[in-house]
Amino acid sequence: MKKLLASFLAAATVISMTGCSSNSGEGKPYAGQELHLYNWGEYMGENLISDFEDLTGATVVVDYFDSNEAMYIRVANGEPYDILVPSDYMIERLLQEDLLQPLDKSKLNCMDLLVEGVKGLPYDPNNDYSVPYFWGTVGIVYDKTKVSEEDLQREGFNIFLDTKYKGDIYLYDSERDSFMMALKALGYSMNTSDPNELNEAYEWLLQCVETMDPEIVTDEIIDNMAQGRKALGLVYSGDATYIMSENENMGYFIPESGTNLWSDAMVIPKNAANPDLAHEFINYVSSYDGAMDNSSFVGYTSANQQVMDELANGDFAGINAYLPRTGNPNDEVFKYDEETRKTISDLFSRVKIAASNA
Amino acid sequence: MKKFSQLAWPYLIWVILMILLPMLLILFYAFTNSGNGIINFSFTLEHFIKFFTDQDFLLVLWRSLEIAIKTTIICVLLGYPIGYFIARSSDKMRNFWVLVITLPMWINMLVRTYAWIGILSDGGIAQSFLGLFGLGDTELLYTEGSVLLGMVYNFLPFMILQINTALCKMDKSLLEASHDLGANRFQTFWRVTFPLSLSGVVSGITLVFLPAVSSFFIPKLLGGGSYFLIGNVIENQFITVGEWNFGSAISMIMAVIMMVCMYAIRKIDERNAGRGKEKA
Amino acid sequence: MKKDKRIIGKILMVLAVLFFYLPIIFMVIFSFNESKSLTNFTGFSMQWYESLFNNREMMESLSTTVSIALIATVVSTVVGTISAIGLSKSGKIMKSVVMQLNDFPIMNPEIVTAIGLMLLFITFGVKRGYMTMLLAHICFCTPYVILSVMPKIRSLDPNLSDAAMDLGATPWQALTKVLVPQIMPGIVSGALIAFTMSFDDFIISYFVTGGGVKNLSIMVYTMSKRVNPTINAISTLVVVLITVVLLVINIVPLIKSRREKKNEKVVS
Repeated sequence: MKKLLASFLAAATVISMTGCSSNSGEGKPYAGQELHLYNWGEYMGENLISDFEDLTGATVVVDYFDSNEAMYIRVANGEPYDILVPSDYMIERLLQEDLLQPLDKSKLNCMDLLVEGVKGLPYDPNNDYSVPYFWGTVGIVYDKTKVSEEDLQREGFNIFLDTKYKGDIYLYDSERDSFMMALKALGYSMNTSDPNELNEAYEWLLQCVETMDPEIVTDEIIDNMAQGRKALGLVYSGDATYIMSENENMGYFIPESGTNLWSDAMVIPKNAANPDLAHEFINYVSSYDGAMDNSSFVGYTSANQQVMDELANGDFAGINAYLPRTGNPNDEVFKYDEETRKTISDLFSRVKIAASNA
Repeated sequence: MKKFSQLAWPYLIWVILMILLPMLLILFYAFTNSGNGIINFSFTLEHFIKFFTDQDFLLVLWRSLEIAIKTTIICVLLGYPIGYFIARSSDKMRNFWVLVITLPMWINMLVRTYAWIGILSDGGIAQSFLGLFGLGDTELLYTEGSVLLGMVYNFLPFMILQINTALCKMDKSLLEASHDLGANRFQTFWRVTFPLSLSGVVSGITLVFLPAVSSFFIPKLLGGGSYFLIGNVIENQFITVGEWNFGSAISMIMAVIMMVCMYAIRKIDERNAGRGKEKA
Repeated sequence: MKKDKRIIGKILMVLAVLFFYLPIIFMVIFSFNESKSLTNFTGFSMQWYESLFNNREMMESLSTTVSIALIATVVSTVVGTISAIGLSKSGKIMKSVVMQLNDFPIMNPEIVTAIGLMLLFITFGVKRGYMTMLLAHICFCTPYVILSVMPKIRSLDPNLSDAAMDLGATPWQALTKVLVPQIMPGIVSGALIAFTMSFDDFIISYFVTGGGVKNLSIMVYTMSKRVNPTINAISTLVVVLITVVLLVINIVPLIKSRREKKNEKVVS
């Protein structure tokens, strides 16, 4: 009881303290400054922010998004952030719409630490605007006790149309990756702009939601699959890593027909109020300490070479989801195209509505 | 004292800026096609046409109304006896019960809804309880039932309080009179008590139905990702799709439907009140 | 027969109370759970409180919620009361225009009000954050204050303030010494409604916020996708906070009246 009372008193003092911000950052390079970060939910190590604050004396204000599209709307409306962490195709879009500022390479000391494979990607060939944060693939997380490997090998993404697993699947609430899955299942490029192919993919998804009774989720998939609530789910490799480290009955499978080789990277928007501090943040996140905290806590593949190697042989040894697949010619990186985006966006909101009507 | 009337002027300006102007903006966006700007635009009806010609949207709208109606009916059925019991208690007990019912309402709605996730999830206490009757495998969370439960849980107190207030205001001597005139308890209830408490039921209905139709976090938290109500469609248009014009049009359609419903309910109430007076 | 009914009624009430309090009790219990599970209680631990107190974001969301609720309550109560008094003396047109508009936030679905305000702030380039959230809260709280003060004013003798001034009171004195005390119950209940509305709000805050400003509801909403017992811990904190506030509200008048009685006795 005393313990209880003590913690409530502690709460009261904390509340009163946050009112007048603490002055502990004095003497540090960025004391008193603010960094506005806009990142995915559940995408940072436990101590990343507080360590960075201790190091620099700055205060980090974080907002979270759960889709690139939601992030884009806020940024396009002029909401001032210093750092964003969008995915590949969204960076391309932000660049096309002239919403990003070039990085000052003289302020970055981290580029040499990063994995070669995530540098110089098509959306930003010289990394003039972006520094990779996490990367990976999209695949199928499955319960080994319920799903046979042969089914996965034979059907690939079409396993999401296999009525054997009706009511036992999760789809991911991402318009791009849902269409990626459908297009890959049909054997097309995920970057197609052919209306017929997109329409076929739409029909594929419609069939899926109408006959398979899926749940369309985002982060809910992580804990639910870790508890083995359903047999199959479409996930990002990093979430699969976490799921598999929690539950050894879970496996991760990438169909031969190819998948999305994605990367999320840090960028600085044009209207950033504090680009200097933003560069500092990029450096810290990419450094061994920051990257280790991030990757070991969240389970996503680090862009820092040393961290990736250590974790692949340490915490996440034996988990195939942690190291992204390389060398499959069917794997692609998303490209951005305004017309296709509109089509996909409209079609996917219909898929979701159809799903809830089914 | 006319001097005091000047005190209302600042508020007039405030309501024009903060209430009227936003409504006009929704109207403006709903009928224009301009991307998300206000500089160059053209008037159009396409958003309304898009909504009303698409079976999927209409189905979502219908389902939102349906679940709101179900919620309202359940709230009346549960709320009436509870409100009745409270109203019939002694003064002291009545205050106590009202406090008991209102206390949870002080605690954040989202927090209370979130708590149901743990109770209803697989292997949670609700399933264990059902297990006693051999129904342990029933899936509870992320179903229409869980959404309905969340709505009833959040909105039932409004109904109880409204009914309780209406019953308390009732003139007790009417009951005695009815007794004296030879009516039995049921007759007294149906002929006297119930009609007189209807106004409470009606205002309770508006307090339950209105938020139930437009709610979007209850279906999102308890319905899982594949349970869409009209509120979710609107949220989606604004937060992820970015089609503000279409989103505004849907909001407008919903607001109009609500107004029509409210108007109809009020009319029914007035007619009833009129009839009650005739009888009296 | 009558006894039966009582028993049925009591059972009903027990079930109702169980229904209303089950999630709250559940939340409190599981905030002390040792493991992350929301379904199995594995042992007592304070770790979720620890992680809560170390989580600046969550603590800030709590203080944002409380400070916005307090400021919005005070402002909307003062504005609402003054406006209601003004309206009661205003002409018919003025009154009906303002009251019609005043009804909008109450009669409209919340999401419509929310979107309207969001469009307003964005269209006119107002930076979304703490201030916009506060303005929005004042906007939807004030109408409730006006609605609860209005009937009290109507039931007053319209000549009351005139009489006070005839007796030599200044308009200010007439207002504060005569009018306001008479309508105090309406003001208090209006303030209480305003506080709950603001404290509870999710939808409107969600659409008008920005710049990393989050209230408790937004925080819970963004975290609700993962299993996170810290939410239970912060919720329990809110339960305790609210219970204390309610106790104070209910007990202070009691002590006051007791003291007054004592004083009366002393005087007599």
